This record gives sequence, C-alpha cells and structure tokens, in this order.
Amino acid sequence: MTTEAAPAATLSDADAQAVLVDLVSTPSVSGDEGAAAALLVARMRELGFDEAFVDEAGNPVGIKGRGARQLVFLGHVDTVPGEVPIRIEDGQLYGRGSVDAKGPLASFVCGVARATVAPEWSVIVVGAVEEEAPSSKGARFAKDQYAPELCVIGEPSDWDAVTLGYKGRLLVDFSLRHAIGHSAGPEQSAAELGCAFWAAILAGAEELNAGEQTLFGRLDPSLLEINTQDDGLFQTVKLTASFRTPLGFEREAWEARLRAAAPAGAELAFYGGEVAYRGGKSNALVRAFLRGIRAEGGTPRFKVKTGTADMNVVGPQWGCPILAYGPGDSKLDHTPDEHVPLEDFQRAVRVVTRVVEQVTAPGAR
Amino acid sequence: MSKTSECPECGEALTLEEGTIQGEIMQCPSCGVELEVTSVDPFEVEPAPEEEEDWGE
Repeated sequence: MTTEAAPAATLSDADAQAVLVDLVSTPSVSGDEGAAAALLVARMRELGFDEAFVDEAGNPVGIKGRGARQLVFLGHVDTVPGEVPIRIEDGQLYGRGSVDAKGPLASFVCGVARATVAPEWSVIVVGAVEEEAPSSKGARFAKDQYAPELCVIGEPSDWDAVTLGYKGRLLVDFSLRHAIGHSAGPEQSAAELGCAFWAAILAGAEELNAGEQTLFGRLDPSLLEINTQDDGLFQTVKLTASFRTPLGFEREAWEARLRAAAPAGAELAFYGGEVAYRGGKSNALVRAFLRGIRAEGGTPRFKVKTGTADMNVVGPQWGCPILAYGPGDSKLDHTPDEHVPLEDFQRAVRVVTRVVEQVTAPGAR
Repeated sequence: MSKTSECPECGEALTLEEGTIQGEIMQCPSCGVELEVTSVDPFEVEPAPEEEEDWGE
C-alpha cells in the first residue's frame, strides 16, 4: 500500500530554496514579468494551491482554500533593472530581486503551501507586476479584485521584523524660460530663479517640519535633477523634485504654496502622488506575526519606512489590518550587492506558515 | 497559573484581563509604556517592540 501526503505537507527546506532560486534566476524587470509569472504559477500548482493563474494585469496569483474570508499576501514579481550575478556564497543568495522582493514573495508561496487553511478562508498570494514602476499596475488591478480581512505586503523587513507603514510621495517638474540679460546687470538668470525656487521648497518644508523629530513624520524634499540650456536669447531651467510625505500631508495646500513661491512665468506639474499609510499594531495580524517570530526564536521589531510600497496603493481602499513582511535587508534594495541570507528566508517561510494557521484558525482573534 | 505580572519599566503590578491574547500590545496603566503580552499562561509581558525608521522600497 502506498500513501500520498499532500504535496504541501512535504515541502522541504530544499524545495523552498529551489522556489526562491528559480524565481531569482528568472529575470523580470518591470513590464517584462511574463516568464517569472508563468514560473510562479507552475510552482504554485505543483505545491497544491487550489487555483493558480495569471490575471488580466499579468500578476501571478495562487489561491489556497475556497472560503469566503480572504487573507491576501501581496508581493511583487518585478524588479528594477541591473544584473546581479546569481550565486550562493556563505549561505547568502545573490541576485537581482533576492531582497526586493522575490525573497518575500517566495516566502509567501512556500509558507502558504505548507499551511493548513481553515475551510471558511481563502489565502491568496499575488505577485504584482510593475511595483517598481510609477504605474503600480499589478496592485492597482488587485485592489479591485479582492476585499481581504487581512493583508500582508511582500517587502523586505528582515525575518524578525514587520513594517507598519510607509511614507507617501509626490513629484514636481518645474520649468522656466527667461530672457537672457547681461550677467553684470541686476536681472536674475533663469538658473538663479530655479535655485531660488529650490531654496523656497527647502524653507517651506523646514517650516512644516518644525518640532518634528522623526523621519517618518517629516516632509522630505529631494532635488532629483536640475539643468539649464540657452539659445542665445532665452535661458531655460528645468528641475524635478520629489517629496517624501508624512501622514496627514495636505497635498493641495503644499501645491498652492509652491505655486505662490514660483517666479512669474514658471510652469509646475505635480504627479506621482501616493498617500502615506500606516496600519495599526493592535490587531490579529500583528499579534500573529509577533507570536510567529518569537516561536522561531526571534525578538520581534517594528519598522516604519521612508519609501513607498504597494501598501500605499491598497491600504487606503482595503482598510483592513495590514503590514509588510519578508526576509532581507532593504538597504540592499536596488544595489549591485543585493543578497538574502538563506537561513533567514527559511525562517520567514516558517513564520508565514504560523501566521496563516493562526489567523485562519476557527475562533481566532 | 499566574494571572499577575509586573511592568518591566516601572514595576507596576499588572493583572491578566479576561480575553487577553498572546501577542497583544497593551499599555501599562501606570507609566504608559507599551507592553507585548508574550504569554497568558503564565501571564508575562515584555516591552513592546520599538519602532525603527528605515528606508527602502
């Protein structure tokens, strides 16, 4: 007589590592995620998910369980460009996306595959496309497809920490065309007017930040680009600035302030706005992660981040308990040295399994 | 089972309230510090994780 255990129950650490290595080995720069999405769907089918498919936006999706209550793990399958030679050295997997964010996504796939899901729940793993692009195409599509009670965003927090929130973002393009005067005369050049506008931005931010000690609570401007050109008659200055925005940031008032500070004739275009979002820490999801991390021998930590993630996209609409989780150090995001400790990946897989089983357990709170 | 513990910050005596769950974040009624319930049987608390600031994504 032979007995067959469910594939999910037999997912070994070596199998889990293979899922991660295969995923990292399949390039998936934003906008070109097809091969990685197909790979992930195939793996999720092999691992016993009840459904696995590529959705209309191109996101690979796996669903385990057929209940009405939804727990969504929303990672992203795309990466920024740049080839990081794939190798394992001293227990670390190097490769583009190993940290941001195929490590987190693979930990979701493997952790959910191992978990027992209560009948009233569906656990949905989504690998969003174009998270690294301004479009956030995959998350914007997913946010209208699901109505989860709980959501975990897949981003590196380190295996023993959870990220509670992300700052928002706004960008502005400034452009001014100005008649050239003699440099010995009293007229300011376009270049000087552009610099004066940047100085006004800094002064305005400093005023709004008065008394605020935390990076998460401050409005942080960054000058991304500035250049000038002239045709002998006119000089044109163009600059692009980004703002990392705090909770409660009043975008309209800030735009009005910058328009008032801009010199006559300047053109301003604001775009790329994402609202800062932060989940609470007194809910079933946070409790489950704290317990899971402790059960694996860790001392849990909370983080808030100055960047943005798909939490900014889905958090305001879903309004459910939400946090970001995944193995890896986000300081390695987008760097040529991107790597994730394989032992941390295995711990994260086990934490995810514990979380799924705890929050979907009958009577769980 | 012990249903009492004490605040690791100020030493205030804490009593396990009905319905408390492991992993819950509670506030010390004396000093206001946030505490994580690491066990309900016996009742044990530790200072809740502090919030670190990080960048990325």
